[in-house]
This record gives sequence, C-alpha cells and structure tokens, in this order.
Amino acid sequence: MQGFRTSSDKVLKWAFIASVSVVLLLILLPVLHAIQLSFYHSESFVSNKSWVGLGNYVRILNEIIFWKALSVGLIFGCLTIILQVCLGIAFALFLDRNFPGLPIIRGLVILPYLLPTVVVALAFQWMLDGTLGLLTIWSEQLGLGRPSWFENPYLAMTVVIVASVWTWTPFVTVSFLAALQTIPKSLYESAKVDGAGMWSRFWHVTIPMLLPMLMVIILLRSIWMFNKFDIIWLLTKGGPSSATEHLPILAYRRAFLQYDVGGGAAVATLSFLLLSLLILVYFYYYPLEEKEGSH
Amino acid sequence: MKVKAGPALFTLVSLVLLGIWSFFPIYWMIISSLRPEKELFDVPTLIPKTIDWQFTSYKNLLELTDYPLQFMNSIIVALAVVVITLIISIIIAYVVTRYRVPGKTMIVGSMLYAYMFPPLMLAIPLLSIFATLGLADSLIAVVLAHCTLTIPLGVWMLWGFFKVMPFDLEEAAMVDGCSRAGAFFRVVLPLSLPGIITVSIFSFLLSWTDYVFAFVLVSSDLNKTLPVGLASLIGSFDARWGELMAGATLIAIPLFFMFVFLGRYFIKGLAAGAIKG
Repeated sequence: MQGFRTSSDKVLKWAFIASVSVVLLLILLPVLHAIQLSFYHSESFVSNKSWVGLGNYVRILNEIIFWKALSVGLIFGCLTIILQVCLGIAFALFLDRNFPGLPIIRGLVILPYLLPTVVVALAFQWMLDGTLGLLTIWSEQLGLGRPSWFENPYLAMTVVIVASVWTWTPFVTVSFLAALQTIPKSLYESAKVDGAGMWSRFWHVTIPMLLPMLMVIILLRSIWMFNKFDIIWLLTKGGPSSATEHLPILAYRRAFLQYDVGGGAAVATLSFLLLSLLILVYFYYYPLEEKEGSH
Repeated sequence: MKVKAGPALFTLVSLVLLGIWSFFPIYWMIISSLRPEKELFDVPTLIPKTIDWQFTSYKNLLELTDYPLQFMNSIIVALAVVVITLIISIIIAYVVTRYRVPGKTMIVGSMLYAYMFPPLMLAIPLLSIFATLGLADSLIAVVLAHCTLTIPLGVWMLWGFFKVMPFDLEEAAMVDGCSRAGAFFRVVLPLSLPGIITVSIFSFLLSWTDYVFAFVLVSSDLNKTLPVGLASLIGSFDARWGELMAGATLIAIPLFFMFVFLGRYFIKGLAAGAIKG
C-alpha cells in the first residue's frame, strides 16, 4: 500500500481516474437517468418530456397488471430457483464419484449453460412446434392430443420454467460439485463409523458444511432469475394475454410498445428497488471487509 | 474399492438420464439442421434416416439472410468488449489493490452491486442517452452497453486475483531496478494471466450471448448481432426450422470450442460465481 509518488505513479493515477469516470458514466449515469425518466411523461425517447412528479408511480401502482406482473415474477423466480437448486444438488451428488466416462458426462452437463438464451429458446420452440415439434408429436402418439403449449397459460408458464431450469441448473451443479470436493473425507468416514446411512450423512455432514455456499448460490440465482427478460420474451413475449408477463417485460412493453417511456422507467425503477433489497441482504451477510481481511 | 452391482447399475442409469436431459435438446438442434427438408416434415425419427450432406439449411442461411454480416458484427463487438474490459478493469483492480485510494471498498462494492443490476434498468436509459447523442442503432452503442456488464465483472474478478498476489514480488523487481511499469508488465501481468484469461472468456461469452442490450439498442438489420438477428428470423422466415436450427448451431459452435480448449478457466470462473445469467 502506498501513495502516488513517482511519475509513473502519476500516469497510473490519471489512468485510474479516467477508468473510474468511464464506469460512472456508463453505469451510474444511466441509472440516474432512468430514475429521472420515471418522473416525466414522454411518448418516445426523442419526444418532449413533461414533468409529472410521482404521477407515473401512482398510475402504475393502481394498475392490476403491475401486481399481476409482480406475482408472475415471484412465481417464476421461486419455482425456477427451487428446481435449479434441488436438481443442481442432485446432479452434483451423482457426479461426485468415480465412474468410467464421468468426465464426458460432466462436460455434457455444463453445455446448456454455455448456450445463448436465443439458442435455448429456439431449441425449445422447435421441440414444441404446433405441427412438427417432437414433443407435440410424442404427446399425440401417447393419446394426449396436441397440447397448445403457448396458448394455455399454465402450459406456457411451465415451458418457460422448464427451459430456464434446463439452462441455469449447471451453475448450481458446478458450484456445488466444486464445494463438495472441499469437504474432508474423514468427516464422512467418522459418520459412517457412527452408523450414519447415506441419507443421514447427506443431511448431517454435506448440507451443514455447504450451507454458507448454498446461501450465496440461492441469493445470486434469485437476483438473476428475478431480472430475466430474454428467456421469457423469446419464448412467449409475456403471453398468452400476460400470463407470463413479469416486471421486466411489463417495463419493456410500456416503454417501447405502448409509448409510455415514463411508465416503463417507473416499472424498471420499482423492480430495481425490490432487487436492491435482495442485494442489500447479500451485502449484509457477505460484507466486503471480511473478504478483504481474509488473506 | 469394490462396486456392488445394484448401486453401480443405479449410478449408470442415473448418469445416462442426466446426460440425456442435458444433451438431448442440443442433439435435436444439431440433427434438425442436418436433415433434408422433406424429412423435417415427416414424423420425426430420433436418429435421422438420411443426412443432408449438401448442408442445404446452412447454405440457405448464409446465402439468403444477413447471417454472415451479423456474425461479423458479433465478433467485432465481442472483441472490442474484451479489449476495453481488460484495459479498464486491470487499471482499476491494480490501483485499488496497490495504492491508498479513498473509498476503495465502496468502489469495489459498487462494482459488485452494478454487476447485479437488472439489464433492462440500464438498457432503457442507455437507449435514451444514445438517442440524444445520435449513437442509437450502432455497434458502438452495443459495445458500450456490454461493457456495463463486463467491466464490473472484470474488476471484481481481477481484484480477487491482484489482492492475493504478494506485493513482495513486485517490490523485489523494483529494488532490482525495474520501474513500476516494468514490474507490472514483467511480474504482475504474467502471474495473473489465468485471471486475465478468465475475464476475457467471460467478457466474450457475455457479449456473444447477449440478447437484451442488442435487442433494445439496435433496430436495423445491418447492425444486429447474431442473437438478435437469429431471433428476428423467426418472424420473417416463417418457421423454416432447418435454417433456424442451422443458425442456432453456428452460434453455439464457437462456445463449444472455447469450452473444450479453455474449459478449466471456465470452470474456475464459474466456481467463483463469475457469470451473470
């Protein structure tokens, strides 16, 4: 640790100030601008703005669609997170053993996570295509008829959830697998000696050891799942009739399709505030100083 | 260790199921891009009866759409994002770990905070700002928007790397007559290469796969990046699934190659909670 003294220090100092300014311009300015936009009424990004104060917020909070979008987001977020975490843990436990050919399976398990969301959405839309889709045809062969995947609200929600779980579970699997390998084998040995079965070793050794890391994963997954825009937009556009429309899609529709930039910005700001609560929880439990002092 | 037959069979079956769950949609995508068109309209067989060695779907995609141009757009944007991210995040992370900087915990903390922002919260005002500056609907806008994701990630990861790197090494080099810049380029940079590679991979990945920012910021076909271009084919191409699957496969291929060759960096970064998504 030192101050800026020599001439190369000075260069570095200015480079640092320039870099931080770029970041502030790129991130802080847009956030402040979004909050500012939410206090104005305007029909597009280039038209005139008129000050409406909290008008956009009052309007939005009085609309049923806002509360519906909030609850859709909660349902989508909670279900995808629970499923990802449970499946991810199960997958990691299966992969945490010696078996011929296991590295190949481990590689395969990560692949869905690498795919761009567009590819995931297209792959699922193709399998669910109304006339030629593989799953549609299978369902017909089983005598279940041709499901209208994207017209039935429950089916549409299920599709969106399954596709999300399919892509993002590997994050949990890989993190959990890495953490599993940090548990000392001796703990399992002594639990075995004490007569603990496989299930009880999982509950009394694995879970308590990995709980802190599991909490981080759940928190991070929640923060990201509540933000997801692309997977839902690409699969259903929020439909059928707003059955899968959560806050990010509502914000987008307001700002870009309904010529209500202020309303869209107000929805975005509200969801940003809700999310900040989650992030504050994260910082409360994992303060940076602790991480800084750990070395 | 002796493996009992029952549990071994159970393990085998569950691993095969796991493999199918993870790989089947990808297999189906690739296979569909290789089927001759008339077979796509038949009742599908799990293993294709014939493979179209003329690659008609790929040819149509590359000849009849803007796909090649959009592929170049994506490459240009992703490379620019990687370079900008590396320069800025190396400077910030290095200075924050090596000098007395007022409020540095706040700087790093706000990076982590920014890294968790809802993308739409940034995309809406960025479009408004770029529209005012006359930069809307340009690749520059997309590059800058992607940097809002990648720079916080880069600073956060490199901060972790520089922090644990012993300061003594650089001091020894400086005592031996190296300038600070010399010590940085000869000692710090080579030692933190794994971190720098990891940041490059994740910046590339975030930019290459991004849909939200490019979708909001770009409207003309000529400036679209691959994910947005491909998604807009669905409407205009009237569900030509062979071509769509060919396009999806081509976006995924660079990522699969990256994963095969740089997989260990990828896993390391993932385990460190590196990616947004």
